[in-house]
Order: sequence, then C-alpha cells, then structure tokens
Amino acid sequence: MKSFVGLGIAVLAWPAAAAAQPPALDQAQFTKLLAVIKPDQQTEKWQQIPWSSSLWEARRQAAREGKPILLWEMDGHPLGCV
Amino acid sequence: MAQTNFVAVAADDWYQRRRQDDEGEFFRKVADQGPRKGQGGSTRQGIYVFSAGGILLGYRNHHDPDVMRQFLLDSLKNWQKLPARERIPRAVQVGDVGKVDRQYHRELPKGGAIVNVYARILDRTADGEFCPGTCPFPGGDRSSHDHLWLLPEDINALVPAGPKVGDRVNVPERLAVRIGRFHLVDNTRGEPPAWSRGQMREGKLHAVVDSVKGDLVTLKLDGAYLLTTQAGPQSDRGFEARFLGCIAVNTATRSLERFDAVAVGDHWGQGPFTRGARPGRTPLGVAFALSRGDAAADRVPPQAAREWQAYVQAER
Repeated sequence: MKSFVGLGIAVLAWPAAAAAQPPALDQAQFTKLLAVIKPDQQTEKWQQIPWSSSLWEARRQAAREGKPILLWEMDGHPLGCV
Repeated sequence: MAQTNFVAVAADDWYQRRRQDDEGEFFRKVADQGPRKGQGGSTRQGIYVFSAGGILLGYRNHHDPDVMRQFLLDSLKNWQKLPARERIPRAVQVGDVGKVDRQYHRELPKGGAIVNVYARILDRTADGEFCPGTCPFPGGDRSSHDHLWLLPEDINALVPAGPKVGDRVNVPERLAVRIGRFHLVDNTRGEPPAWSRGQMREGKLHAVVDSVKGDLVTLKLDGAYLLTTQAGPQSDRGFEARFLGCIAVNTATRSLERFDAVAVGDHWGQGPFTRGARPGRTPLGVAFALSRGDAAADRVPPQAAREWQAYVQAER
C-alpha cells in the first residue's frame, strides 16, 4: 500500500499558491469549527419525518398499514447529497 | 401530515431510473403514469404519491411549501377514491424483493464505517473567528449533507501495531485522496462536480498517535489540500484548505470509534449545477463526524459512490 504520510502531492503546484497556504488549525479553532459547520437541528425539520431509503420496504409497509406512499425522488439523494 | 398519513421514502433518481430489478421496474411503472416518463434516459425526479399496488395519485416538483401542502391534500383525496382492495391494510400483498441490480445498488461493506460530512459557507466575525456565512442563494447558508464511506481495509490500515504516543501512522493514499476529491467540495447549493485526480494539486494527511488507552488508540490528523480546476492562480474553481482531525480506532475489534475532522479554507468558483456562488475567494468549512448508521439518512451512499470504482480507488 502506498503511504500518504509526509507525501505532498505537488502535481503542477505553483509557488504563489503554496506561499498563500492557509495557516494550520489549532485545537480551539477545531472545536469551534465543528460546532459552526454542523447543521442546526432547528433548520433540519425534514429529519423529523421517518424517511425510509428503500422503496420496496416502503411499499411493503404501505400495504401492511393501508397508507399511500410519499416518494421524494431527486437527482442526488434528498437525504444525503446536498 | 407526511408523518401520519403517508409512508415516506426518499430515493436518488440516478439509481432508480437505471436499475433493472423489481424496485426499478416498480418505480418506472408508477412514474410512467405521470408527466416524467424518462425519455432518452432523462430524469424522473419529483414528488410522487402512489398506492402500494402502483397507482399514481399525484405528482409535483415544487419548492413552495403551500403548493406542496395542497398537493398532499389533493393526493389524499385521490387515495380515498380508490377501491377498498387498493387501500385497506393488507389488501395488497407485497412479497420480498426479488433480484437486486447490484450495478445500481450500493451497500456499505461489512466492517466499514460511515462518516457524516457537512459543508457550510463561512464568514469571519470582527475579531476574526469563523461564523456561519450568508449568501443570497436560497438555502445556500445551510449545511449540506453527504457521507464518507471507509472500507474495512481503510480502517485496518489505520490500526497501528504496538502503538506508542508520537508514532506516525500511515494514512492510506486512497483514503486521503477520496476525502479530497469527493468530500472537499462546495455542495451547499446543489450537486457539484467532484475533483478529478489531476485537479488534486496537493494533498497531505499526517496521522500521529495521540493517546493509547487499552485497545483504544487515538490519532491526530493534520493536513492540507489544494484542489483546482486548472493549474495556476487563475483557476476558475478551487478550494485551498487546512485539515485537522481526531480519530480513534479499537485495535482489538479493528473498528473505528471516532472520526471528528474539519477542513477549512478559501473556496472559489462554481459548477454547472451549483450556480450562485459568492464572488471571489470566500471561506468554506467541511466537518466530518462518525455516524452510528441508525437513521435511514445515515445509510445513504456517498454522492460520489455512483462511480463506485472511482470512489473506492480514488488514488488511481
């Protein structure tokens, strides 16, 4: 297996960009950034719906419970793309 | 209403319109009753309501909540008009799924791990701290969702033998490149293009043993990435980011117990399906957090896993 430790892939890298490389993160920034980037549950109301990710299993459940199926079908999975 | 009156399911049309199996055939039978019949292999995306027997009750594809609420109400009225043999519990018999088209079905290999990946545009406060960013694009200020999959061999490679604090641990190249090419992307306004292997100009990930407590070994990850569409400073799209993380592996079970990481830096440009980017170089953050895989949403395959071989062998 190729190792990636200490291996800088510098294919066509250019000096100006390398010189402008952002500074390293410290532990305090790391912790704050995790909290800032992760979604706010108040804006994620779609997660309150018990979505299934299997159309066939949803079909079986709908037949069993006597309910219609609501299918959210997108190019890019609605539950995990964007 | 969606929780109580319907069985809710979500799917990626890229797979559904292609798969040649029971699920794909059932979906296309339903979709063919609506306006999107997939001519020429085109998308059938939208919101559908239908019966377990496959009778379409409604189709819309609209962002306005009021329009969609009325759509659900109208679909329920159509449901009530169905004969009892189509809608009373257990009137329709649905057996186990038969054949599954493996070419268009993705499952995490046993022993693998799911890591939730979130991206968000950022701004800086007056004192220089990062804060959630703002933009005029509707919803563009919210966190995006994707998943990083680690294969068992990726995890095995991160388990050190006889670890001591300060030891360096090899990060598999395929994993470091997979993270860069497919997960350090701006997917906050839609589906972005992944980076090609050549567009990953630089990618460094270092792992060092931070602590050893019984079978639990904690590693610190540190690195930097430079991803650009063209070589040189005039590249029309790019992301230049620092990476910092903390992962933990159990050396006895060879399992991943923690994966917390962030990548942050300047992003610029947009893709064909991600118009509306902020002008110039602006901060973008990407956060990674290990998932237990309990929710259906957590088990959705990585967006880039459509091209499976490219995803798992990203370094090639």
